[in-house]
Amino acid sequence: MEEQLSLLDLVWNASFTVQLVMMILLLASMASWYMIVNRYVYFRNARDEMYRFEERFWSGIDLSQLYREGNEKASDGTPIVGMESIFRAGFKEFSRMAQQSEIDSEAVIEGSRRAMRVAYMREEERLERHLAFLASVGSTSPYIGLFGTVWGIMHSFRGLANSTQATLATVAPGISEALVATAMGLFAAIPAVLAYNRFASKVDVLSNRYDTFMDEFSGILHRQAFAVRSRDKKAG
Amino acid sequence: MSTSVYAKPVIPRIIFRPALATVLLHGLIIYLLTVNWTSTEREITRAKPVPQVINARLVDVSEFKPTPKPKPPAAKPKTKTPAVAKPKPEPKVEPKPTPKPQPKVVPKPAPKAEPKPEPRISPNELAAIARAELSELLEQEAQATASADEMAASFIGLIQQTVIRYWSRPPSARNGMETELAIQLIPTGDVVSVTVIRSSGNTAFDRSAINAVEKAGAFPELQQLPNAEFEKQFRRFRLLFKPEDLRY
Repeated sequence: MEEQLSLLDLVWNASFTVQLVMMILLLASMASWYMIVNRYVYFRNARDEMYRFEERFWSGIDLSQLYREGNEKASDGTPIVGMESIFRAGFKEFSRMAQQSEIDSEAVIEGSRRAMRVAYMREEERLERHLAFLASVGSTSPYIGLFGTVWGIMHSFRGLANSTQATLATVAPGISEALVATAMGLFAAIPAVLAYNRFASKVDVLSNRYDTFMDEFSGILHRQAFAVRSRDKKAG
Repeated sequence: MSTSVYAKPVIPRIIFRPALATVLLHGLIIYLLTVNWTSTEREITRAKPVPQVINARLVDVSEFKPTPKPKPPAAKPKTKTPAVAKPKPEPKVEPKPTPKPQPKVVPKPAPKAEPKPEPRISPNELAAIARAELSELLEQEAQATASADEMAASFIGLIQQTVIRYWSRPPSARNGMETELAIQLIPTGDVVSVTVIRSSGNTAFDRSAINAVEKAGAFPELQQLPNAEFEKQFRRFRLLFKPEDLRY
């Protein structure tokens, strides 16, 4: 029915502002999809790494051995992320401070906790990367699309004022092309919002796990520190 | 990493897969959208009339349909098999008395040979009967659709003639002008709505085409058409008006 217009025609014949809006929305959509897939891959890797590391950690392996394994991995060029980096930060600080016998064991634990806290913050930062962008695409791109639509409709109605014979056919293509902008805005926004919500909950889950691990690990360090001190006291 | 806890965070580089996925996804969506939109357009442009003396021509889907296939020749060879099958049950009765007086060795091959053909026959027979019935049905159906198609074609011609009779062209009509109308009918054959799909650019000419259909008003002959066929072809159809016999 009506005049058959192809989608491409609509886009090509749109006014400059509407085209600009469409361009922005297309870029936003592409960027948000890039980030969605990027985050998806990152979170999957982080989760797998976490399980792998936890299994290794609780397998009863010597902790300094585990630390050395991590060293080898780091020298291979694979970045150490997630739980393992928290472990490494805490363990390094602990072993560094435990070598100095004048430091109180409470202070040693405190120091390693601090180091782990820093590593944890960094992990959280890594996890949350790009999420702000997804959130803003999700919340603003419908508005950008709406702006394009309103602008296009404004334009086509102005054209209606100029023509003597006002028919639907004079405004319909303009409105149709303007509505494409809203469609694109929604197209960009919906996946971004969905992905943002999903990833935000994933960040929560992962950082909770990291937090728990920090507590568990500092418990182990606590035990070890006091064991070392009491042995030293007995020996000295 | 190993030098300071406060160093710049190392971020694993994940670039290729997201980029590929993004490009593929958007490409696919754009492709699907453009293909879908243009395909609806193509249908109309294809419906151009062959030049002929008649000025109005019905543009319809049925013209592009292939003609119904001739009935399948499968029926004949299969009816033979039941005829062949009949004589076989006969020998079953005869050999039975014979094995009794004879030694054991002889009857063995005989009973073996007999039961075998029996199961072979019955599925064959069944299949043959089923197929014969099926082909008969198909044949009937093909005939029905063929007649429906013929009827539809004759109605198309009828609509053309009627509309042409009522069509009076304005003096401003020129060769090469084309107006395409969308016409909606109800099963009684009455015209419910006429709208211009494609204007010729000349309002008088468009008007004359609409008038022609409106004057024709109804095509009561369409009531003879089976309902399904009507729904398929005449509920909504397009009519192209194109004068070609004018001198200028």
